Amino acid sequence: MKYFIIGGGVAGTTAAEELRKRDASSEITILSEEHHPLYSRVLLPHYIKGKIPRERVFLKRDTWYAQQNIEWIDGVLATHLDGRNKFVGGSDGREYSYDKLLIATGGETRSIEEDLRGVSYCRTLNDADQFLQLLTEQGKTTRGAVYGGGFIACEYINFFAHFQIPITLAHRGEHFWTRNLLPETGKLIAKHLIKNNVDLHPNSILERLEGDKELEGFVTSTGRYAATILGIGIGIEPDFSWIREAGVEVGTGVKANEFLETNIPDVYTAGDIAEFDDPITGRQLQIGNWMNAMTQGRIVAKSMSGERTSFQIVSSYATNVLGLEIIFVGDVERAAAEEIQVIGSIEEGGITQVFERDGRVVGGVLIGRNTDRTPITKAIQERRSFREISSSFS
Amino acid sequence: MPRIRVMVDPDLCIGAASCVTIAPETFQLNEENKAWVFDHGQEPEGHTYERWLEVTDDEKENVILAAQSCPTLAIFIFDEEGKQLFPEV
Ligand SMILES: Cc1cc2nc3c(=O)[nH]c(=O)nc-3n(C[C@H](O)[C@H](O)[C@H](O)COP(=O)(O)OP(=O)(O)OC[C@H]3O[C@@H](n4cnc5c(N)ncnc54)[C@H](O)[C@@H]3O)c2cc1C
Ligand code: SF4
Repeated sequence: MKYFIIGGGVAGTTAAEELRKRDASSEITILSEEHHPLYSRVLLPHYIKGKIPRERVFLKRDTWYAQQNIEWIDGVLATHLDGRNKFVGGSDGREYSYDKLLIATGGETRSIEEDLRGVSYCRTLNDADQFLQLLTEQGKTTRGAVYGGGFIACEYINFFAHFQIPITLAHRGEHFWTRNLLPETGKLIAKHLIKNNVDLHPNSILERLEGDKELEGFVTSTGRYAATILGIGIGIEPDFSWIREAGVEVGTGVKANEFLETNIPDVYTAGDIAEFDDPITGRQLQIGNWMNAMTQGRIVAKSMSGERTSFQIVSSYATNVLGLEIIFVGDVERAAAEEIQVIGSIEEGGITQVFERDGRVVGGVLIGRNTDRTPITKAIQERRSFREISSSFS
Repeated sequence: MPRIRVMVDPDLCIGAASCVTIAPETFQLNEENKAWVFDHGQEPEGHTYERWLEVTDDEKENVILAAQSCPTLAIFIFDEEGKQLFPEV
């Protein structure tokens, strides 16, 4: 049996590890665009803020692959897929045949059109190195800015604050996470940012950058702002072209059933890239967090090696921005919810939104209300309604 | 039964809760969104980020699995002799 895995992130690597545990003799190959052995993206913020040294971000050594008898091909992109003749074409010009294929290519960051030195992204270890390099070069002259209103924007705000760099923040929407947050909840975050001296500009669409080779500022629909580092956090935009051409069904992600099988036989998917049937919330979800990616890697390996296993887990993403705790659990898409219950208020300094569909809880957004997490997670798992759990909230 | 020492570094923990999902008997989140260490669902001597546990081999495996699932490697496990079982050094 030949297992071929595209993408050496946590989903792909966990799948390889699990496949090897289950099958000592099969061929297992990981094709990976990045040159680094597996590292934790979640540790990149800790690394940037100096909480851990660089070598601590790695979860595997480069010798691990050989020890496990896993072929690790780094620095190569998959650019072509032939699902009928079962091979993958690489950017190195080679063709790789497979019996079972896993697409675990993660979430490529969406980029802005222009580029200047000073524009920063935050997905890879190289991105983190580059950010630290910019800070070192610019020192006290750094003017920090962030474009975006999501998780990565929060990270950039925390980075700049950590280094005591003044922050300008611009985002397109009325407030953070417009697809998930009610206006009241958005206002709570905005108030917190403004109170902590963030120069906040909502409803701002980026028009152009200013500067010759080095960034000096940027212009949006609401004004011109000075910046020497502009952190971009505007979501993900993976390259689906070669996947789509192969006839694999693609929506916002690579579509799959609850067993993480795509519509093409022997082609599977896992991690940030997967848009899978979620039996718990009764809807197709695409989820971008560590627990989801790692567990899917483990589950998909079972399915690939013959033990067809349904993926069923309620995962979450927890972060904080300048000390305000933010947690997303389960399905938190406003448009897909039938009702959203609100607990708390701006005055109380915390708001929880509970998302309901078909009379049961499917998700929760918790801002400054950590303790609501357990009852909400349980309610999702046990398919309960908000009424049944409402007494757990104070 | 093996005895292991389980420790969470609250400075590294970000409340991702993978550990809680895998080993809820050993890890539970507190109000600060960090994982306390429990002893089979109990907290003798109250809340703590560090304690000795007496576990079966299966339980030990599961606690190690939980530690491996932590995206910030905030969980440390030692054996009776003080040898670090995870993260491997
Ligand atoms: C800064 C940051 C902070 C985060 N913080 C948290 C957090 O606090 N909590 C949390 O739960 N999650 C967090 N996440 C999200 C979490 O890291 C991701 O959900 C997880 O890493 C996804 O893993 P994956 O394996 O699906 O994809 P990835 O880790 O993106 O791996 C995919 C790999 O595939 C490669 N690839 C892509 N296309 C190809 C191709 N065609 N050919 C070959 N290789 C290809 C990519 O280069 C990449 O290396 C954070 C992410 C970032 C960037
Ligand atoms: S998995 Fe790690 S970061 Fe998450 S709660 Fe457990 S110890 Fe903390």
